[in-house]
Amino acid sequence: MSAPKNNARYASRRRGNFIATVLSVGAACFGLTWLLLILTVLVVKGVGGLSPSVFSEMTPPPGGEGGLLNPIMGSLIMTIMAVLIGTPLGIMAGTYMAEYGRYSKLTMIVRFINDILLSAPSIVIGLFVYELMVATMGHFSAWAGAVALAIIVIPVVVRTTEDMLLLVPNTLREASAALGLPQWLVIRHVAYRAARAGITTGVLLAVARITGETAPLLFTALNNQFFSWDLNAPMASLPVVIFQFALSPYEDWQQLAWTGALLVTAAVLALSILARMLASKRVPS
Amino acid sequence: MEKHEHIVRSYEEELAALNTKIAKMGGLAEQVVGQSIEALDRRDPDLAEATIREDEVIDALEHEIEEQAIVMIARRQPMAYDLRQVMAALRISSDLERIGDLGKNIGKRALAVVGEQQPKKLMLGLKHMGELALEQLKEVLDAFIERDADRALKVWYKDEEIDAMYNSLFRELLTYMMEDPRNIGLCTHLLFGAKNIERIGDHATNIAETVYFLVHGHAITDQRPKGDNTSMTPVVLKRSAS
Amino acid sequence: MNLAIHTDVKERAASATAPATIEEKVSVRRLNFYYGAFRALADINVNLFENTVTAFIGPSGCGKSTLLRILNRIYDLYPNQRAEGEVILDGENILRPGQDLNLLRAKVGMVFQKPTPFPMTIYENVAFGVRLYENVSKAELDIRVEDALRRGALWDEVKDKLDASGLSLSGGQQQRLCIARTVAIKPEVILLDEPCSALDPISTAKIEELIDVLKRDYTIAIVTHNMQQAARTSDFTAFMYLGELIEYGDTTQIFTNPKLERTQDYITGRFG
Repeated sequence: MSAPKNNARYASRRRGNFIATVLSVGAACFGLTWLLLILTVLVVKGVGGLSPSVFSEMTPPPGGEGGLLNPIMGSLIMTIMAVLIGTPLGIMAGTYMAEYGRYSKLTMIVRFINDILLSAPSIVIGLFVYELMVATMGHFSAWAGAVALAIIVIPVVVRTTEDMLLLVPNTLREASAALGLPQWLVIRHVAYRAARAGITTGVLLAVARITGETAPLLFTALNNQFFSWDLNAPMASLPVVIFQFALSPYEDWQQLAWTGALLVTAAVLALSILARMLASKRVPS
Repeated sequence: MEKHEHIVRSYEEELAALNTKIAKMGGLAEQVVGQSIEALDRRDPDLAEATIREDEVIDALEHEIEEQAIVMIARRQPMAYDLRQVMAALRISSDLERIGDLGKNIGKRALAVVGEQQPKKLMLGLKHMGELALEQLKEVLDAFIERDADRALKVWYKDEEIDAMYNSLFRELLTYMMEDPRNIGLCTHLLFGAKNIERIGDHATNIAETVYFLVHGHAITDQRPKGDNTSMTPVVLKRSAS
Repeated sequence: MNLAIHTDVKERAASATAPATIEEKVSVRRLNFYYGAFRALADINVNLFENTVTAFIGPSGCGKSTLLRILNRIYDLYPNQRAEGEVILDGENILRPGQDLNLLRAKVGMVFQKPTPFPMTIYENVAFGVRLYENVSKAELDIRVEDALRRGALWDEVKDKLDASGLSLSGGQQQRLCIARTVAIKPEVILLDEPCSALDPISTAKIEELIDVLKRDYTIAIVTHNMQQAARTSDFTAFMYLGELIEYGDTTQIFTNPKLERTQDYITGRFG
């Protein structure tokens, strides 16, 4: 190859390319640095408080010995309830939008509202559920907490379900319809099977999202110092306990807060990794 | 209606080349036949020899056309009209090659009778028949170029005339030979020459059939007029007196 | 125009091909088709004769795939598409509002251009449709699956790996799987929409051989871009252009001596 015709032009382009590369790498490093810092601080500060008692003892009064049993169980219970409520609703809505009502006006409206709900401030959702359930029932409860979390779960599941189902090629649907399959069987045996991995990923991501939500729980489940199975009563949850303990002046509470934060982060990390693994296992169509 | 051309230009050019080769071969065949009849008439040995050499060019052209036709069938998979064009090229080149050979043979016969005394009436008859055959050939080749099936059909029917002339020539030659045995040598050559001319007429008729098929997509439905009944003419030998 | 050609075709077909009497299996009468306000098919009249192969040829956008998709009403999956006229299958008009679409599609099967095996095992792909309509024991299901795979010229290649995913097969094998899946439910008519477009020459040849064998038991309609394929595989050919049926007749006649200049121009490559 002969040398570039205009050396000055080429040199200036190379310079520009170099500068842009440096800037992008720099920005990435900047972001990564903060992320690593956060993780490091979490691990350093949280690991110190990790011990079997964290998982077996209730939250202590200030200055006492204790663990995080009730917030952990509370978070688990409310998360599972939220998933049980939100996932079926979300999947069915997404199925309607992608399969039965793909071209209908209702779908367009629902999609629009759903996108708004996706980024709705969770504190607003918390307030709404407060009015709806806590005020009418007269007391805080785990039910209310679960409903608030479910309202956060639903838009995520609707969105992913619809997107994944829309990704299933129409040729596959036509091929099954051409065999004489009624529509609901086409959806059940063909569309769902093809979109299975994607929909599961969506649910996992929704769970990861609600694991860290604090604001809605503040208005609905409140908190509970003691371990309780009662769904009609206030229930403790990790994010709320972290909030409460971190702002307190007591050192052991603060330590528990760090440990709790570490646990929440670890849970979200695990869920995200699982979701990513599932996504990559998807058979390319 | 407007005649469309092939979208692939080279296909169109290949078909045109095929047509040009046939036209060229036809022209050469006309030349060979015309010259050989003239050589016979004028008793010109040089012309006769030149005619014999020219036949080789016709043979070479036939090979070329055959090769191109086969290649076109393999590469282009011609359909409908295009397929008929390629088949027509194959058949017509084969007929033209035979016509060239027949013309060459007439030339050889001309060489053979160069020195002899030639009866005027017989020679005139032969020349007339030859000119008619040549005219048929020219007509049918024009019909091919023009893709004119009606013209080809006319040639097809007119073959009867050549056959009729051949019949009468045949009887005259027989009579001549029976009159004087010394004429047998000459007359035999003239007889073969006449037969060759009649065969040229038949091949021109073949070409006419091919042209009709090319244009209409099916064969001529009529019965082919066959006027040559020399094979059934009885020979009666008159015993000479004494 | 069309009635005359039909009688002519019927007579020639009866004399030319093996069956002594030749029945109309599917009859399309005065068919018009609209995408919204746009008329894609104008006044189509054509027949599919029993146990024969009818090919539909024509340039892109001429409506041949549209016509095929009306024969099993797969267009009904989408809004804004409507058909007017009649399509008579075994004496009944399948365009009428009361027609049971699932039963229709069990009778009239379709194979698409892109091979679409279901995300299941090979066995399941074929058994799926059978189980839908019939209550068969496992033993009988095995027999049905084997029969279908044999008819699809695929049995020898997959008999040892029936549990493998349908997606693990090559393109040509996948398409034959789709054909096996279609014949497993015992249809009467099979529609092929450019079945070999995505395949290599050898797979194409295998499927053409398959069509030759299948036509003994089924009525087949094939849409193809490849004219040589139409010439090789079909008994009747219909040439379409801009939504109209231009010429329809015996395949040999269409490809050696078509009646209309436009047909000849298309098949010789002079336009389109």
